[in-house]
Amino acid sequence: MRNALPAAVPSLFVFALLSSQASAQQAHDWLDRMNRAVEELNYRGTFVHVLDGTPETLHIVHRNADGQSGERILSLDGASREIVRQGARVQGIFPDRRLVLFETRRDVSPLATALPSDTAELAPHYSIELGGSERVANRAVQVLEIKPRDEFRYGYMLWLDQETAMPLKSHLVDEQGKVVEEILFTDIEFPADIPAAALEPTIDTAGFTMQRAADAKPLDASIPWRAAILPGGFKLSIATESRIAGSDTPVGHLVYSDGLATVSVFIEDPATEAEVGEGFSTMGSTNVYSLTLSSGQKATAIGEVPRQTVRTIASSLVAQ
Amino acid sequence: MTDQINDQISAFIDNELSADESALLMRRFERDTEARARAMRYTLIGSSLRGELLEPHPSVLRQRISAALSGNAPPSAPRAREPWNDRWARPLLGLGIAATVAIVAIGTLRSLNEASLPAGNVVTSGGLPLTVSSDPAYVVPQATDPSGVGAPIRLTNYLMHHGEFASGLTRTSVNSNVLGGAIEPAAVSDAAVSNAKPIPVAGEGLE
Repeated sequence: MRNALPAAVPSLFVFALLSSQASAQQAHDWLDRMNRAVEELNYRGTFVHVLDGTPETLHIVHRNADGQSGERILSLDGASREIVRQGARVQGIFPDRRLVLFETRRDVSPLATALPSDTAELAPHYSIELGGSERVANRAVQVLEIKPRDEFRYGYMLWLDQETAMPLKSHLVDEQGKVVEEILFTDIEFPADIPAAALEPTIDTAGFTMQRAADAKPLDASIPWRAAILPGGFKLSIATESRIAGSDTPVGHLVYSDGLATVSVFIEDPATEAEVGEGFSTMGSTNVYSLTLSSGQKATAIGEVPRQTVRTIASSLVAQ
Repeated sequence: MTDQINDQISAFIDNELSADESALLMRRFERDTEARARAMRYTLIGSSLRGELLEPHPSVLRQRISAALSGNAPPSAPRAREPWNDRWARPLLGLGIAATVAIVAIGTLRSLNEASLPAGNVVTSGGLPLTVSSDPAYVVPQATDPSGVGAPIRLTNYLMHHGEFASGLTRTSVNSNVLGGAIEPAAVSDAAVSNAKPIPVAGEGLE
């Protein structure tokens, strides 16, 4: 008996290690289910988006049928703006500007926005832990906490529907632990079918200015710019030219991702892009950093990441 | 807009006005675009709080207006009036939603109530009497910039493109930011942002 305890210590250690790995895998599985649920399920509901204590109510319809997903989101407050996405076509309707923006994205592999399949890829940069069970919007949810391991990315608290893994509530948490943004569904349903008509814009756009991207100039398959300095885990997933509504000239578009957070970099000639000022700006929880490159082009990095991350990426752009 | 009119509008939507009071309010709607717009907003908010808003059609308001225009008495006798805020808060109690939801929703309501609509607001499909059976009417503020483009729309372009590549974790967040749309120069300088340096990465390629 006296020798039994030392002999048991390695076994206990191995058991604890295996339990920890199993728990991490379980948490990752929830994350993977959530990522697929947002894209693949049919759902509609109302959610509240809270920024700096200011709430805004929005209505969402998401439809996945015949291998193509689409979505319509309508702001119920203020100017009643609306975004409608059907496949690669996106339109933003802004009644306060009497403006409709038509954007089209180039075909890209869904893998470009998929989560890493291996927990080991996220582990150096985030700790992902399962929390308890709670209720949100009168549904049972599983809490998932994602903590960043450095100050180049935000953390997340997620309340995932037990049945579908849909995030019914989420917190975006900054480097100081402050909740930057909250999203909270007040009601949601998951119909087996949603008619295609549910994705039709509901705002009357008669008399609005319609801005489409000019398609006279063919798109270049690649662009030469790359970030020379990246926070750990961020990798280039897309480097292409895109068309922007209201612009005759395509813009360069780089997408960097660490598996959870995404940063886009847009590179454009200054003659066509005179609106975005230099330095920092924000759009809700999105941080933006703009500067002029050595070529004279304007570069703008955008992402749901801390300010130092968009600045680091934009500031280190070099032509290859 | 006075509290009395607010109270009348919400009582009308809740079917708590007599036929005579409804007729008076109808006449006000005909000449007061702000009152019409407010009625629409209250209907949407009430439906949202009650979890009824699966499609943004202001059917409740249409039914009430149709009944008032046709001279039909409300289907039930007017109920005793309650304080305005109590009436809107009441549906929350029955929803079984977490307390945080209630706080956020009431906050939304308060912020909307406090917001004043700019002069010249219009309802896109015209006067209410003509729209009760047509497409949904939305409050569309007049453009402040006749060119229709205005201040930095390019960031909105960028954010919409960025959202197409966001993961399921942040897609809804990005779209909400586009719809919220306040483009604000951040009140920070480079010096106020952390100077932590990441490890340089050389020659990374497409994954």
